Amino acid sequence: MHRTFLWLARVMAILGGITLCALILITCASIVGRTLNTVLHYDAVAGGVATWLLGLGIGPIKGDVELLEAGMAFTIFAFLPLAQMTNGHASVDIFTDWLPRRTRLVLRMVIEWVFAAALVVIAVQLNEGLASKARSGQTSLLLQFPVWWGYAGALLGATVTAVVSIYMAGVRTAEAATGRTLLADEQGADH
Amino acid sequence: MTNLEIGLWSFPALMVLIFLRVPIGLAMFVAGFVGITLLNGGSPNIALAKLKSESYGSFSNYSLSIVPMFLLMGHFATLGGLSQALFKAAEGWLGHRKGGVAMAAIGACAGFGSICGSSLATAATMSRVALPELRKYGYAGGFSTAALAAGGTLGILIPPSVVLVIYAILTEQNIAKLFLAAFIPGILAAVGYILTISIYVRVNPGSAGIRPRVPYAERFRALVAVWPVLVVFVAVVGGIYGGIFTPTEGAAVGALGTGLIAYLNGGLTWTTLGESFTVTARATAMIFFIVLGAGFYNGFLAQTQVPQELSNWVVTQGFSPMTVLTIILVFYLVFGCLMDSLSMILLTIPIFFPVVSALDFGMSPEHVAIWFGILVLIVVEVGLITPPVGMNLFIINAMDRSTPMIETYKAVMYFVASDIVRVIILVMFPAITLFLLP
Repeated sequence: MHRTFLWLARVMAILGGITLCALILITCASIVGRTLNTVLHYDAVAGGVATWLLGLGIGPIKGDVELLEAGMAFTIFAFLPLAQMTNGHASVDIFTDWLPRRTRLVLRMVIEWVFAAALVVIAVQLNEGLASKARSGQTSLLLQFPVWWGYAGALLGATVTAVVSIYMAGVRTAEAATGRTLLADEQGADH
Repeated sequence: MTNLEIGLWSFPALMVLIFLRVPIGLAMFVAGFVGITLLNGGSPNIALAKLKSESYGSFSNYSLSIVPMFLLMGHFATLGGLSQALFKAAEGWLGHRKGGVAMAAIGACAGFGSICGSSLATAATMSRVALPELRKYGYAGGFSTAALAAGGTLGILIPPSVVLVIYAILTEQNIAKLFLAAFIPGILAAVGYILTISIYVRVNPGSAGIRPRVPYAERFRALVAVWPVLVVFVAVVGGIYGGIFTPTEGAAVGALGTGLIAYLNGGLTWTTLGESFTVTARATAMIFFIVLGAGFYNGFLAQTQVPQELSNWVVTQGFSPMTVLTIILVFYLVFGCLMDSLSMILLTIPIFFPVVSALDFGMSPEHVAIWFGILVLIVVEVGLITPPVGMNLFIINAMDRSTPMIETYKAVMYFVASDIVRVIILVMFPAITLFLLP
């Protein structure tokens, strides 16, 4: 069971990574296009070849910023499950270290359930946001794609995050009940 | 309770949550949610309605998308062997001096910092390269780990820097100008650490061994090998200042550039690419969840008028601006021992920034904002190397199990002292920070 959830979280992280790379490539291609477009428009080089190239549509990628923003929302939500599964969130632990072990386990269980509740609320409200964007038919400025598409991508990640966090809360509950450590802490997140 | 009281009570509530080991982003999220609910007479509807677009809005923020790109870039730079190349070059030129291998580690950290926006990534990657060399030439364990932990902070002091991006967004300042302003203080930090090392090896003569000189031909060859670092740095930072592209686009260019270098050097395989994604994913998710929680909490706080009231109160008390600044910086130094830098910035800047902005330092508001940003950046980074919970110390000590933590703690105090001296100099002479600005 743990393997399945970890696998799911990893797959999401890799999908997010692939999206991030695609966004990086789009952004760079757009810079190249924009720069070439500017150069080709200089009178000095505006010969036949330049006109021909401009005719091909060399220029910045239309709506690159919109794509970046929508894609980034998916990327970040897709990254969240892994942090949830691997205890990747920043916290301050020097004041709890002196508590008895059992108290620590119970405390951790409560925190994990609050976390799961928060993530479920976030996913549900994101779905509400999606519904209202779909109703209003709002589209992006340049590419005119419906704004709810971006929300849909984000919702996929948010849903997996919520599911994974409920599983983790379950694991911490089992730990608190049995007093055994099922999952060892991993190294703190890198930032 | 009045709104102001609710706002004030949220501080101790938040602190209790954080000290109970609630993840910091979650603690701020919960405090914000409960706070907004209380402001609306106990109805959670407003808070829930806010959430419909809040998470999507924070995660699709154009400026914030710099963060995952810089993190990926730092990882690619490591895969491309750039940390190795930098250390080799620095070691060739500095290694034979007294404490020279440690100085070389600092130099290499500074170089790596110019293409990496994160302290922990810099500390981790340079440790992997430099720790074996330091131990080989007889450098004491605690001294080696302390030098690397301090060197790691250069990752964020020398632009590009993730923390400065967050500061810029919170205070609505120009990211490019902040990067520019961080440059001289970053170099000063590296020079300060090198001086610290030379003092340390004189006070503790047994702590460092001797390394033979490297012939000049080899030194120049090693120096030439770091050209990719220079190309990426000039392309990213030059492009941003030259107005060729936005900071976000610069981060994309840097990530692509270091990715290509890693690929050409054979460091980028499907396995390492997947690993880059998971490392970037964990770090990014942590940062963005804190950003989301902080956005929620700060929205609540602004509604209670606490930041405005606090800054009004400070101004009417007639404290001297320098006193207030000193208190704030000392606060950061103390809290930095407990909390990570990003959480501290997100938690405190919305409260302290209005206070500092309301004071008269005899400079333009923009200059005050930039100068204050650099000072805060430095003091929160000191927190990464101060016991008991300096994250850099943990990361490096985890790589060198043979050195007891207490040895690292002892040696790192020299570097903390060097940081404090630098902060005092920068507070007394704002011109050093503002020198490069147009």
